[in-house]
Amino acid sequence: MASLMTSLREAGKTLLKIAEKKGLDEAEAYLVSNKVLTVRLVNNSVFEAKGVHDIGVGLRVIKGNMLGFSSTADFSKKSLEKLVEAAASTAKARKLPFKYSFPKPRKIPKVAGVYDKKLAELPSEKAVDLAYQMVDASLSHSKKIKDNAGVLNVVSYETLLLNTHGVSAKNSGTFFEASLSATAKSGKNVSEGSDATAGRRLKELKPKEVGEKAAEMAVSGLKSKKLKEDTYTVILDYEPASGVLGYVSMLVSPMIAKLYFPLLLDKMGKKIASQQITLIDDPLMPNGVGSAPVDDEGTPSKKKIIINKGVLKAFVYDSFYGAIEKKKTTGNAVRASFAVGVSSFPGKNYNGEPIPVPRNPYFKPGKWKREEILEETKQGLLVRRFHYTRLTNPTRGDFTSVLRMGLYAVKNGEVAGALKKSRLIDNLLNMLQNVDAVSDKLVVAGSWGDYAHTPIIRTKAHVAPID
Amino acid sequence: MALFAVDYASKLGADYVDARLENHYNELIIVANGKVQRGVINRKRGIGIRTLVNGAWGFQSTTDLTKKGIRQAAKIAFKVAKASSKHVQTPVKLAKAKAYKTSYKTKVKIDLENVVFEEKLEQIITWEKSLHTSKRIVRGLAEYTGIKIDKVFASSEGANIRFSNSLAWASLKADSKKGGLTQFYERTVGHSGGYEIFQKNDMEKVASEVGHKAESLLNAKAAKMEKDATVILDNDYAALLVHEIIGHPSEADRVLGREAAWAGTTWWAGKIGEKIGSDNLTAYDDPTVPGTLGYYLYDDEGVKAGRKVLIEKGVLKGHMHSRETAAIFGVKPNAGMRAITFEYIPLIRMSNTFFGEGDWKKEEMIEETKHGYLVSCMRHPSIDDKRYNWTISAQEAYEIKNGELTTHLRDVALTSTAPKFFKSIDAVSKKIELLPLPGCGKGDPMQALYVGNGGPYIRGVATLLGVK
Repeated sequence: MASLMTSLREAGKTLLKIAEKKGLDEAEAYLVSNKVLTVRLVNNSVFEAKGVHDIGVGLRVIKGNMLGFSSTADFSKKSLEKLVEAAASTAKARKLPFKYSFPKPRKIPKVAGVYDKKLAELPSEKAVDLAYQMVDASLSHSKKIKDNAGVLNVVSYETLLLNTHGVSAKNSGTFFEASLSATAKSGKNVSEGSDATAGRRLKELKPKEVGEKAAEMAVSGLKSKKLKEDTYTVILDYEPASGVLGYVSMLVSPMIAKLYFPLLLDKMGKKIASQQITLIDDPLMPNGVGSAPVDDEGTPSKKKIIINKGVLKAFVYDSFYGAIEKKKTTGNAVRASFAVGVSSFPGKNYNGEPIPVPRNPYFKPGKWKREEILEETKQGLLVRRFHYTRLTNPTRGDFTSVLRMGLYAVKNGEVAGALKKSRLIDNLLNMLQNVDAVSDKLVVAGSWGDYAHTPIIRTKAHVAPID
Repeated sequence: MALFAVDYASKLGADYVDARLENHYNELIIVANGKVQRGVINRKRGIGIRTLVNGAWGFQSTTDLTKKGIRQAAKIAFKVAKASSKHVQTPVKLAKAKAYKTSYKTKVKIDLENVVFEEKLEQIITWEKSLHTSKRIVRGLAEYTGIKIDKVFASSEGANIRFSNSLAWASLKADSKKGGLTQFYERTVGHSGGYEIFQKNDMEKVASEVGHKAESLLNAKAAKMEKDATVILDNDYAALLVHEIIGHPSEADRVLGREAAWAGTTWWAGKIGEKIGSDNLTAYDDPTVPGTLGYYLYDDEGVKAGRKVLIEKGVLKGHMHSRETAAIFGVKPNAGMRAITFEYIPLIRMSNTFFGEGDWKKEEMIEETKHGYLVSCMRHPSIDDKRYNWTISAQEAYEIKNGELTTHLRDVALTSTAPKFFKSIDAVSKKIELLPLPGCGKGDPMQALYVGNGGPYIRGVATLLGVK
């Protein structure tokens, strides 16, 4: 909508003017229009359809060596004045011991396949029908399927970043995420299955496939055996592999590493994973789930290698964390609100300052076909789903996940029956070091709002049954 | 404006409508190792409109508060509900609830906005500094959050409730290191109210206690596994236990399997009236306790709140309900619905969930334990999706020998199943303490909410684990 972008631009320009008038050295307005439609499926029904349309602005200001931030959803003149004052007041005691300035204008690249008009304009009633197709497909798969629950999120956003150096960066995008959990019953046996996917264009949304895969996993687990506690060769299918990828990606954020998860803080240049592991962040990947031409402070996107053949090569930076270490931004600013009580929806949020994180990370595909990895596993486990995954000791790397469903024994290259609920307890670094096979294809996988492109990986891990 | 939204959506043909018009003020300060990591003020206002059409829910929120914006949102809320109603097996029915017209406020002595931001920042820098009690403290972290919410709830049944809330909390954490051994200790101070909480508590003293604790853990012994040990849980550890294995599974939507896809289900579905624990086990959820993070008098469906008895003398008594789940269970709604902002549809949430009191003194509980462990202060939970098997780590523990606290232990966790532990509870102390838990997660999209949890000291049997 041209009129929307115009009104965002008007508000942004007004803010920069007010900031200048109040004697601030630099100002940066990040203006957002974010639309989310969530269709929730519960007990084989559409339980609720809920939408959010959030328009607002986050303002950062610099005065001398002080940096401030504030946000508002109210674009009235009075509110914008108040916003500049609030940002200035947060700056007052936040003196930076280093020189900091907002990014300067640079040429912005193009990225294909991140905005789809059809998805942006998808009528809500059509979204409801598409979501229900997941349930329908699951129920049609087998009479043993008794219950389904899931969600379809459809997101479209437009953002505009303006700063006093003359950066003016527009960013529009769409994406969806669809997931379903199915429950199968047969006699006394109950088993769960799930599938989840995400994408940027409507044509990638295949609700029937999601429903069928979830149902297939649920039914396959009806006859299951208890596993023996041991260290196994484990094949991590797309979803659990995305879970490992998610944690590793978080650990290469200097902000997260310094504040919460220091595991990789002292390991730059060291071998932290096997030869097979190369981690790349490429927000320019066409159609990538995390792709965009610019990051959330208007810096052009670029591809970078984070782990090369097992060696930790780089952390990712936004301009702020770059300045702390006298490094340049790598174009990895992401606005995420992590304050309790502040909303943080899928899509773009204006109520947080940028933090540096990989934006479209993936493990570089290897040479193995998915089937080959299975075929060449003599004895081990196939893990198709992680649940409740945690880095329980962020210094040592203790890593745990509940293998709630989709767990199978592998014998002589074949899936040899489902196993009962178990728990994986190992160390993330050991698991990375033990990766001996990476599949050749990237697939979008994930859960609960966190999706990435990933191959499947084979490693070793300790797994114990849950009573 | 809320009334306008309700009227407009009703005229479109919705069977039921409610609207929440809210104004939010949030501030966040994070200081790590002397450096300010975050200093933020967020303001947001808008409206969330919920409609029920032919037994299906629709919801739309907007930050556009013009009449046009509200009309637009109401139309979408109506349209999506209507579309959803095609795929509904069991139409939603709402249990009857009185429509209240009232207004109330959280008691505040010092308004958060009346303390200059700069002053707060300087204080938090000082607290963080106080965490560094020696060179062994390698990392300090102080996080402060302040929230003010004004909200108006209006419904097509005539409810009109105004609530001004204010919350503030601060978490302090110290990481310590000696050789290859790293440890940490953390504590959160918080309440519903204003900035006065940080004057009532000497925060610099609290911070230095946290620092000393983190240091002392470096000299503590690593815990070793002991099956079926006698354990005494302090208020702080009990808070996380009650949160995870009583609070979450008491959410009626979870009992009904509606949260199965994300959080999970609950093992005690269908067991109301059954004995699930010893006579010493009682648990409540009560939002009406002033000063707690879970404080409110009316929930986000306008239902008047009171004390919910979840478990009484070992018998499972009831769950936390919305008007809808109350209708399914055939009980009175008990005000369990909350949303973090107007942008979210409310969900059944804990408010303040806690273990009921017993008649022991905590000193007596220790004295009358021949061999066991005092397990202190929550750390990480790891619970299965039915809330049956649980493992929760603690910040520290002390071995009890012949009624006396002896060896200080680090890297400790307890594990058991919910029914096994519930049945083993044989002593409960008199004094209840409610602690602030600011980050309880539920829902899709995720809603991180503040709650209160706690209880007395509790003695029972669980397996002690050494966490490696």
